[in-house]
Amino acid sequence: MFDLPTANIGGPDLFVLEFGDIVAYFSPYTAALFVFALIFTVLVIVSRPERQVDIAFGGDAYYTKVVDPDLLRFQRFMAIACGLATLGAVVTGDVFNFTLFASMVGITNIGIVAAYRNRHVLNAAFQYGIVAMLATVPLFGGAAIVLAGTGTLSMWELFGGAMAVPLIAKAFLVLGVMGEGMAPFYIAKAEITRAQGAPFILMVHVSSLLLFLRVTEIVISM
Amino acid sequence: MDIAYPVGLVVVAASIVIGFTALVREKDDLHRILLTDLAEILALVLIALVATDLAEALILPGLVVGISELMAVSEVYIAKEGLRAPTGPLFRIEVMDSAPGILALILVAYGIVLSGFTGGAIAAVGAVFYFMCRGHTEQFELIETVSGYAWAFWIGAFFIFMFLPAYWFFGVMIAGGAILIKVMAKMSLVGTMRRGGPDV
Repeated sequence: MFDLPTANIGGPDLFVLEFGDIVAYFSPYTAALFVFALIFTVLVIVSRPERQVDIAFGGDAYYTKVVDPDLLRFQRFMAIACGLATLGAVVTGDVFNFTLFASMVGITNIGIVAAYRNRHVLNAAFQYGIVAMLATVPLFGGAAIVLAGTGTLSMWELFGGAMAVPLIAKAFLVLGVMGEGMAPFYIAKAEITRAQGAPFILMVHVSSLLLFLRVTEIVISM
Repeated sequence: MDIAYPVGLVVVAASIVIGFTALVREKDDLHRILLTDLAEILALVLIALVATDLAEALILPGLVVGISELMAVSEVYIAKEGLRAPTGPLFRIEVMDSAPGILALILVAYGIVLSGFTGGAIAAVGAVFYFMCRGHTEQFELIETVSGYAWAFWIGAFFIFMFLPAYWFFGVMIAGGAILIKVMAKMSLVGTMRRGGPDV
């Protein structure tokens, strides 16, 4: 059971952790993604947030904005949770667990962005939230169709090539991840990045990049 | 996997089209939240169509994720619109003065007869109603302590199941009684959350 088809882009498996029939694993590909996510999670934990600078128009004056410590603490917590969810999405060996981690990334992204009391940013976060909620339909739908079409959700079985995963399931999976984890790519990204807290906002982008790379690997390998 | 699955898929596809069209046409933000919640049900329907034990097990996490996203978006909506809890005189009607005693008594008594988790929930509804109507001056440390001991008894009952299976009936009685008290104590705290209380 424990040899991932090496013809796929993931490469050979380096480490396997078995929870019953849910098998988490590292391949060279996912290990690289894991290390990347781990570095950024550690950065979020240790870093001190920046303070935004506003320049008064028509003069030399500038001032730094005051940051509410409570909101900042919440934002940091959400950023760390987002990092952990990304780590989970990268190492998991089960399609449904992947979709759950992806939607957890979506929730924490909303939390990171929403921890800022600015009307424009809150509006953007609200739109993102609507899209993230809608994206659960293709996300879980994709996983459900994989289960209905092949009878299993384990990537170890699906990557073998013996299983024919319906094309619609792959399309749904990609669509769901696009809406759930990568919404900042197309919804008012400028508004979202107006939110304060440089290292924490970064986590939104890191998680969307890693989810994108991971779902690409899954869909190609299936 | 007979004819039911394709037919179900067609129905779900039609529902998705209807739901998403409604979302595109709707402009009111609150209504859009409600519509997205409806659309999320369709994801659960897609899982449920598989109709195996595994699918059944997958519905619960899907539901939890959906609800947590709904709560997050609702919080964003409240912050966005600057909504606050209304301040004004408390809601009072006559039945709230006359009914709580007898209703709470009936519900708690019936809950004790049922016992277990269901009984706890029903008894708790009675307690919630009583606290909401009559107000509360109780010491919450006491309720929390009782709840904690009930939890310990519940765990102890499980050890009886594992180590002394012959005494299973004794274990069932302890577990049923303890979970009754625990659920009731936890849920009765909900009744004290009404605005205007001293510790809200």
